[in-house]
Amino acid sequence: MIYIIDDDFAMAECIARYLRPEETKIFTNAIEAINNIDEDTPKLIFLDILLDGPDAFTFLNEIASYENTAKIPVVIVTSLSLETKSLKPYGVRQVLSKETLTPKDVKACLKLI
Amino acid sequence: MAHELKGPLALLRQLAFSLEYADSDGERHKIQQEMIDVSERAIKQINDLTRITRVESGLFDLEPVAIRSVCNEVTSELRQLFSANHKNLQLEYRNRSRLVVGNRDLIHSVIYNFCINALHYSEEDTASFLTVYDRHNHVRLEVRDYGPALPVDVWRAMKQGWLEQPTSIAMRPGSSGLGLYIASKFSKAMNAPVGAVRHRDGTSFYVELPASRQESLFA
Repeated sequence: MIYIIDDDFAMAECIARYLRPEETKIFTNAIEAINNIDEDTPKLIFLDILLDGPDAFTFLNEIASYENTAKIPVVIVTSLSLETKSLKPYGVRQVLSKETLTPKDVKACLKLI
Repeated sequence: MAHELKGPLALLRQLAFSLEYADSDGERHKIQQEMIDVSERAIKQINDLTRITRVESGLFDLEPVAIRSVCNEVTSELRQLFSANHKNLQLEYRNRSRLVVGNRDLIHSVIYNFCINALHYSEEDTASFLTVYDRHNHVRLEVRDYGPALPVDVWRAMKQGWLEQPTSIAMRPGSSGLGLYIASKFSKAMNAPVGAVRHRDGTSFYVELPASRQESLFA
């Protein structure tokens, strides 16, 4: 299972289409994702930074606090200018820009699993 | 501001890529419709921004406006969009809702932007309410959404200066930071107070337009 967490549902759906939609779950806020994560632990998470309610950093701290979720690779998908290096302490493996990402970039992230 | 305008373009680009991945005609049609909706909203925002320059130069008329007709128009324009997002927009008139003094186009934009904000922040399967009611010598238009509460710091910033510039609350595609900024500019131009009320389960944004005395001619 792959999680896509983005408050812009249309953008999340686009990412799901590039992957196999049946293997993805879309969440529009961090709380819903956290509530599901123990039951259906994902192998990879695509995460937007600015979310309604708790933001991506709250989510990252939460998953880093538990053994079963701490090692899940996270790919940040954002329109903010961020570098992977600055987010490494949060367990982020890659940062994709919403403005330049292509379906190929999204599929390439599957190698992180 | 440029950031807000980049959002819809980034989404349009992804929707264009997505067309190739659609597995049925129905899915393709859905993506095409989303592309049309996103571009229409972006065009509207750009039009509003160009209109702000005219507003700042005072190049607009204030006249009696039938508020019901504007509210009916906005809600019928947006109902489909709300429904596509599994949300609902309801319109409620608490009393007879008099004529107001304002500019029809600007009032339309203020209500439209408040409703788009509600669309963005309300939770799925909830209804947002556009309520219109008389309040002393004013008519108050209020848009209430049911979603995450407005963060306290943003609410305080709004109380102090309201939205003098696009806020960081919504630096997202199709979002409301820019829309609320536009709404606040237009309301100010019409001397209409605007504000936000923070609820535990959402937010209400309101504007109070002066009631027109011409109404007595129709009584």
